[in-house]
Order: sequence, then C-alpha cells, then structure tokens
Amino acid sequence: MLPATVLLAAVLAYPLLYTLQISFSKFDLATFSPTEWVGLENYTAALKNETFQNSLVVTGIYLVLALPLQIVLGFGIAYLMNAEWRGRGVVRALFLIPMVVAPVVSGGIWKMILDPLWGVVGWFLGLFGIPAIDWFGSASMSMISVVIIDTWRSVPFVALIAAAALLALPKDVFEAAKVDGANWWQTLWSVSLPMLGPIIAATFVVRWLGAVKMFDIILATTNGGPGEATNVVNLFIYQQAFRLLKFSESSAMAVIVLVITMILTFVFLLGSKKLEDRL
Amino acid sequence: MTAGTKRRPKRLLAVAGAAALSLIALTACTGTGSSDKPAAVDGGGIGTAKKHVKITMMSNDAFAQQWQDQLVPEFNKEFPYIDVTIDAVPYTELLAKGLLNGTDPDPQYDLITLDDPWTPQLANAGVLMDLKNDAKQWTDKGYDWADFNAAPLASSEWDGKQYGVPLRSNMLLMFYNKALYAKAGLAEPTPELTWDQYLKEAPSLVQDTDGDGKVDSWAVGLTWMRGVLSPPVWQAVLNSNGGALFDKDMKPTFDTKAGIAALQTQVDLLKYAPPGATNYNYTEPLDAFRQGKVASIFTWGSAYKSAAVDPAVTTLTPDQVGIQTMPAGSDGASTHRGIWSGSVFKNSAHPEAAWTFLQWMTSKKGEVWTTNTLGSFPARKSTLASTPSQAWLAPVFTTIQSAYDVADKGQMWRPRSPESNAIQEILADQTSAAVQGQTSAKDALAKATDQINELLKK
Repeated sequence: MLPATVLLAAVLAYPLLYTLQISFSKFDLATFSPTEWVGLENYTAALKNETFQNSLVVTGIYLVLALPLQIVLGFGIAYLMNAEWRGRGVVRALFLIPMVVAPVVSGGIWKMILDPLWGVVGWFLGLFGIPAIDWFGSASMSMISVVIIDTWRSVPFVALIAAAALLALPKDVFEAAKVDGANWWQTLWSVSLPMLGPIIAATFVVRWLGAVKMFDIILATTNGGPGEATNVVNLFIYQQAFRLLKFSESSAMAVIVLVITMILTFVFLLGSKKLEDRL
Repeated sequence: MTAGTKRRPKRLLAVAGAAALSLIALTACTGTGSSDKPAAVDGGGIGTAKKHVKITMMSNDAFAQQWQDQLVPEFNKEFPYIDVTIDAVPYTELLAKGLLNGTDPDPQYDLITLDDPWTPQLANAGVLMDLKNDAKQWTDKGYDWADFNAAPLASSEWDGKQYGVPLRSNMLLMFYNKALYAKAGLAEPTPELTWDQYLKEAPSLVQDTDGDGKVDSWAVGLTWMRGVLSPPVWQAVLNSNGGALFDKDMKPTFDTKAGIAALQTQVDLLKYAPPGATNYNYTEPLDAFRQGKVASIFTWGSAYKSAAVDPAVTTLTPDQVGIQTMPAGSDGASTHRGIWSGSVFKNSAHPEAAWTFLQWMTSKKGEVWTTNTLGSFPARKSTLASTPSQAWLAPVFTTIQSAYDVADKGQMWRPRSPESNAIQEILADQTSAAVQGQTSAKDALAKATDQINELLKK
C-alpha cells in the first residue's frame, strides 16, 4: 500500500502542488522558477481574460453536443450488437479499432478524409450530386466536425462498457417481459433502460472526464479556429504555457479548470448515486 | 474496533507521509535554477584524437535529420574531434525547451536553432551567448560578418548584440505555375506585378482546365488557418504600401486604412482559392500547387525545392515554376522574413566547439557547401553572387537577394519583442476571425490593437 501511495503522490501530488505554487507566484524565465508571491493576481487576470472566458464557453458547447450523442450512440450500438446476427463477432472486433487510434492521428486522418478538394467524403457525396462541404470552413461546421471525429473515436469505448452491462442484465426479466407480450420498444424503454440507468450514469461520468480533456483532435484539425470557434480551454492553456511561456497565468487557469471539473464531477456522481438508490 | 478501523489510521499516516515527502521534494526542487558555476574560461577546446569533445544541438525537426546525416560528416572532415549530435525537436516545443536548457545548471544542449521572433525573449532571459563579443576569441579572422545580408543577420540581433547566425534563411515568396497562367491567357508574373494587378488577374485563374465544365484550378493558396503563419501575409502587404506593424516605441500602427486594406486583401484572396482553403496551413496550399490546383502560392521560399525540384514529391519542374517576391504595393515589392539562426547557449560547457560548428556552417566555404548540397538558402552576399552548382538555385538566388533588400528596406518581419509570440497569437486570432467573416477587417485590427496595448502594458 505504501509504495503505491508514494508513487501516486509523486506523480499526482507533486505536479499539482507545484502548479498551485506557480499559480500564486510570478514566474521568472531567467531562473525558470516561481519567485515572488502575488496572491490572487494571476487568478484575477485569468478570469478577466476574454479568450479564457470564451474557451470555457467553447468547451461547454463541445461537451453539451458530444457527450449525450456519444452515450446514446454507444448504448444504442451495444444494444444492436447484443442481438444475434451473422457476422456480429467480426463487426464487434472492427468496431473497437477507433478506440486504439491516437487522438492526434484521428484528427489528422479525418482532416484529410473531410477535405473538400481531396477527401473521400467529398468524392462520395459528389457521386450523388451533392457539392463539396467545407467541414472546417465555418465556426458551426468546425465544431460539428470536431464532435464527429471525437464521437467516432469515443463511441466504441462507450459501446464496450454498454455491451458488458447488457450482458450482465438478468435474463429472466426479459423472458418475463416476452411472456407478457412486450415488443422491442416496450422492452427497451420499460425494462432495459431502467436497469441500465446506473451504468449509463457511471459511463457518462467516465466519458465526461475524458471529454473535458479535449485537445489533440482540435490541435490536429482546426488549431482552435476558425477565429476562436473551437478554441477549447485545454488548447488555450497549452498555448499560453508552452508557446507564450506564461506559466503563472496558465497555471492559474489550469487550477480554475480543475476546480470547475471537480465540482461538476461531484454533481454528476451525486446524481448517479441518487439514481442508483432510487432503482 | 474492527480490523478495518484499526487499519484506517495507518492508511492516513501513509498518505500524510507521502504528501509530506512531496512537499519536501517540492521545496528542494524550487528556488533559483541558475548555476554559480562560471562558463569554461578556455571554451572547452575542440578536442583531440584521444579525447573528443561532444556537443549537442536542439534543432527544428524539419531539417535535423538532414543535418545529422549529411552536414555533420562534412564538418567532421575538417574538425574530426568534435562529435555533434543534432536532436530533432518539434517547432512548438523549441522555445520552451530552449529556455529550460538555458537555465539548467546541468544543460543537455550546447546549441539551439532559433526562429526569427524568439531572439529577444531568449536574449532577455540571458541564456544566449553574444557571438561578436563572448566568442570573439574563437572567431576565425576570415569569417567576415560584413558579408552577411543585413536582413537575415538582424533576425538574431537584439539590443545591439549578435546572438546568432543565419543557418537557413527563408523569405515569404510567390511561386507560380507558368502553364496555368498561359492557359488563362495571362502573361507570366514579373517582380513588378502589383497587388491591384494580381487581384485583377485572379478571377481569370479560376478555370476549368480539362474542359468538363467544372472549375478544377484556382488562383491562389496561402495560409489562412488560425495560427502564427497567417498574419505575415497581410503584414507583407501592409509593409509594401509603406505601413508598419509598430513604431519605434512598440506602439501598434497597423490599425490604419492601409492595415485594414492589407488584411482585407488576404480575406478577399479566399474568393479565388479552392474549397476548404479557410483551413489551409503550410502543407495544404503546397499540395494544391504541386497537384496543379492553384496557379500561385504565397509561401516560404524553402518550399520551392519540394514544389518544383524534388521528383520524389512533385511532378513539376523548375522550368514550369516561377519564383519571385510577392506582388508590390506603393512602396515596392512585398516579402516577409523567416530566418532560422543558430545560437550557442551561455551555459554550454563547450562554447568553443559549439561556435566552431556554427562558424563552419555559416562561413563562406561552409555556406556554399550547405546551399549546394542541402539546398538551404544562404544569407551571405558572396554566396548569392556565386554560381550555384544546381541550376534550379540560380533564379532562387536572384529572388532571395531581392527579397533581403526588400525586407531590409521595409522592415518586413514579425514583431521584435520579448512579447513577440503573444503579439503574433493575438494577430493570428483576429486574422482568423476576419478571414471567417466573424468580424470585419476594421474591427479585427481595432480589437488586436486593444489587446496588444493591454499586453504590452503589463
């Protein structure tokens, strides 16, 4: 227990505490270390920074669009794959491939696939007379494209958890429903979903913790643009820290994001527990 | 009391102990990072047969491997006892890594390649060696600083000191596809081409080249995507009309009629670009040009080899591709400077060997070799006046020399300030917003001015 705790403290506590220290200090590039204590100055500057505020909003928009879509799709696909049909095993195996592709690679490849001039999607749509779509050409389309790429990558993970959860459901309840004459929709709505409720909630929390770190796909596709339309908070903090070397300000921003994430995670976990208790 | 309850205090103690260890480690590791150890007075020497000197350079990953494989063996023919390792580092990490190394009491690197706008920040942090003073004792008498063109040499100068030497000189230039111009019934561009003329001709260059009734070739490609590579284009237009980004007191001077018109030019060029061009970074316009999809591109000159020479990546040839400075404004042609310079870290244990390597690379003899063998663009007047061994370099030499003269006259480079990166990020955001139509060019520059003033006030 002690070695694991020491290791965890070393890789978790030390960077966290150091970041906290830098966030309350002025950072001297000449010595590459925090120097004088400045109190809440960096936090005030971060909260007043319009681009930081915008990046929080952009991140919120992305999460509101992506998370429900990924949960619904993941569970829906798992439900379909749970049924007996030929080739199910092969499809199931292939379906997991996006999960093992590195996010930055996903972004790069999808950028090529969606290119209006060269991309295979444009070519395919052209076969039906549909003109090329500029997937990254506007603020709204860029966000939709990022959500699509992230969904492609993340849904297999949700489907994997959902498939395991579906397999663990008691068979006798479904048999009883069948005997009572329930159709597939009634079975789904009145039997499966209530039993899956806690798992859905738990999966949402796990996926939320992954989604809030969104960075690499956007870096590989839009670099936060067009304008600041996809400038999520992690990308902004990374640029502030490692391109502009503003370590004090970016540390304060990172701590703010950590606090917001912890509060929201607590709220989601509380909701998940309440749902579990009710069922 | 249960066994679990008994174990709880022990667990709490373990966690507290681990946290305390972290705090102790934190305290031990913070504090000043500078070393009290002075740099080697004798420079560390250039090695002997029995004891080689090892130096390491952090370099942009685009050319690190080429230098390691070809340049270092050539250097070792003259200096066999200096072992050089060139580490490839992604562009976005070089500055931060350089600063970290420069302040490390036990540095891993002796040398760094610097992009144009980084010198002020690193020089201010005190991590770079002043080559004309600190390295004077190891400088060859025939090195001839005056032989360098002013524009590339100035990119690593700051506050009256010379912190680097140009290794790979790059300028923002125009390449054009002669066949596509001919197909559109237009004369080939010349260096006298103005922006007004270019914009007048652009619609004709949006054409159907294979007669199937669909447009398959467009006029232009350049960087429009949000990022630090997009503002240089409209900045070059502004400079060519006699404007400037900042005055000598670092007050923004781009929020003018000329500045708005310059940014609007970059926005308007999108009308004559392929679909998806709003997301064009560096490689996309180059790919489009190589595929014959655009008649001209505004890009960094080092791309000429892959656009028109290297058969492994392009079917175009130097005869088919013209190269020149960008179109002219009221004050002359336009360009922008992007020089990779080499610098020696002040905390290097082998500054003499490090400077020997840089000196060799950028000497009259070394630069001729790197230009003819590796195809990198030279900074010396003597090299540019010579006849290159590869024929495709001849028109490139003429263009590069012209671009240096233009840049020097119009001061066509990114902001020179320790806040250069931050300024470029602000300009990148507003350029992108204007390109997307989210804001007008006027409002974009007004917002950029406010944000930059706020930044420089701190």
